[in-house]
Amino acid sequence: MKFFKRHNNVLPGFGVTLGFTIFYLSIIVLIPLSALVFRTAGLTWGEFVTTVTAPRVLASYKITFGAALAAAVINSIFGVLVAWVLVRYRFPGRRIVDALIDLPFALPTAVAGITLATIYSPNGWVGRFLEPHGIKVAFTPLGIVLAMTFIGLPFVVRTVQPVVEEIETELEEAATCLGATRWQTLVRVIFPLLTPSILTGFALSFARGVGEYGSIIFIAGNMPMVSEITPLLIITKLEQFDYRGATAIACVMLLTSFTLLLVINLLQKWSRRYAE
Amino acid sequence: MSIEIENIAKQFGTFTALGDVTLSIPSGELVALLGPSGSGKTTLLRIIAGLETPDSGRILFNGTDTTQSHVRDRKVGFVFQHYALFKHMTVFDNVAFGLNVRPKETRPTKEEIRERVSKLLRLVQLEGMAGRYPAQLSGGQRQRIALARALAVEPQVLLLDEPFGALDAQVRAELRRWLRKLHDEIHVTSVFVTHDQDEALEVADRIVVMNRGKIEQSGTPDEVYEHPANPFVLNFLGNVNLFHGRLQQTGEQPGAGENAVSYVRSHDIEIDRSPQDSTALCAEVRHIQKLGPAVRVTLAIAGSPELVEAELTRDVFQNLGLQQGESVFVRPRQVRVFVEDYQI
Repeated sequence: MKFFKRHNNVLPGFGVTLGFTIFYLSIIVLIPLSALVFRTAGLTWGEFVTTVTAPRVLASYKITFGAALAAAVINSIFGVLVAWVLVRYRFPGRRIVDALIDLPFALPTAVAGITLATIYSPNGWVGRFLEPHGIKVAFTPLGIVLAMTFIGLPFVVRTVQPVVEEIETELEEAATCLGATRWQTLVRVIFPLLTPSILTGFALSFARGVGEYGSIIFIAGNMPMVSEITPLLIITKLEQFDYRGATAIACVMLLTSFTLLLVINLLQKWSRRYAE
Repeated sequence: MSIEIENIAKQFGTFTALGDVTLSIPSGELVALLGPSGSGKTTLLRIIAGLETPDSGRILFNGTDTTQSHVRDRKVGFVFQHYALFKHMTVFDNVAFGLNVRPKETRPTKEEIRERVSKLLRLVQLEGMAGRYPAQLSGGQRQRIALARALAVEPQVLLLDEPFGALDAQVRAELRRWLRKLHDEIHVTSVFVTHDQDEALEVADRIVVMNRGKIEQSGTPDEVYEHPANPFVLNFLGNVNLFHGRLQQTGEQPGAGENAVSYVRSHDIEIDRSPQDSTALCAEVRHIQKLGPAVRVTLAIAGSPELVEAELTRDVFQNLGLQQGESVFVRPRQVRVFVEDYQI
């Protein structure tokens, strides 16, 4: 029996590509992830709940997801601005700025963390100006947001940029002819067209922030209950040879991230309902 | 609303898009700006709209200088070649856009907007489409929505940039007839840009023929077709044949004895089996091409290297029973001669 009705398509490839996709996803994503779940299955339900709801663990979820959301929001706003400027305006050094955007992708995260911590520490280049105003960045939750913002920026810029390139100036001209102010054109015409790509960039930036480890541990200060991120907690458990505890927490993170990403994807689909 | 265009010039880098153009468009007329690409017609339209600023010159709406006023305040309806519809909005929201963005004091109520939009959708014959998205419409329907959207703000002037350029031939013909009818109903001063002479001849009250940033001629379709001011206009409006020759001395005629080019439209060439009078020339049928209702016959004039194209109706062609390779006599019915600046 066949699962899928065979379509006589002139452009073949459905069977082969779907087969490969499933095979590939299994090896790269599904098998490692299910191993995680199997490991956790060694725990009883009670043990599992106790592990994943310990106060220190709960605090770490809050700081990890909270900071990742904050960073994704910041990136969505400024990433769109950067993408807009890069596409719409010609200025000297544009290519260099464009290349700079990708740097957080390439930089070893530890280097990014150490650099940020140095600059924003109370006696660092930027930190010394913030300190007198009572703003502490390094070794506080704010530092976590900063590190996540740094590493997540390219995602928003790179997803929004091609969409900005596609927006015809005619649309703005049409809106202006119809009497719309610049602000109205932006809010009613341009922003809705960018929304799907902003949501994608937001999701990617958020996911990256949740999973980030290397740069954050240098700037966060890692104080339990205050600035300790979940990935660090997992490492701590591993170092204590508590593998089941580590995988249990990882499972919760995984599930939460997956749910959030799914919601964002549905939102994205809804925001492009006009295209169908 | 009349439009006065006074000495408008526009330069893009080293390219002169418009060089000192002056034109007056009376209120309520439907005017076509006709010309090849690069003739400056779209630039002129965009300057009228305020989407482009002229280097020099003035634009007056009803006698008031609007050169400095912003597009928003000019109250022009602009229709783009590629529709420029807001694809994330329904047809209703697209048409209502111009009303919805008005400041609170002048914005009609929701009920009034609904009424106005449905009236406009009726006008463009798309009543049932209010809830659809532009992606679900055909090209012709999209352009009609774009027109309804432009009309929603009750513009004083309607400007259309190659409005039918992106449509296929049949929809195009249908839509331009419809535009003519629409204009007869609403009488808003309209200017449309086209490079299609048939479109201009069929739709417009007045045709402005443009070339290389200058106006070559402006007049009613009959005027520009029957009395073209220069070879460019003649050439641009329909197929013409060129005969090179020298003017014979006939006394009071200006330019006698000079080199001249005579132009004959291809449907002004008669083909006969026998010479009708002294103007008939002997020619050989080289090629016959059937074009729907018309037949194009390519002829080689005896003793001349030039080829002449004649367009016959199917009836005439069948009565003659022309065959490729046979010898016939051709006679121009109407000849236009241009000697430098003189027209005879």
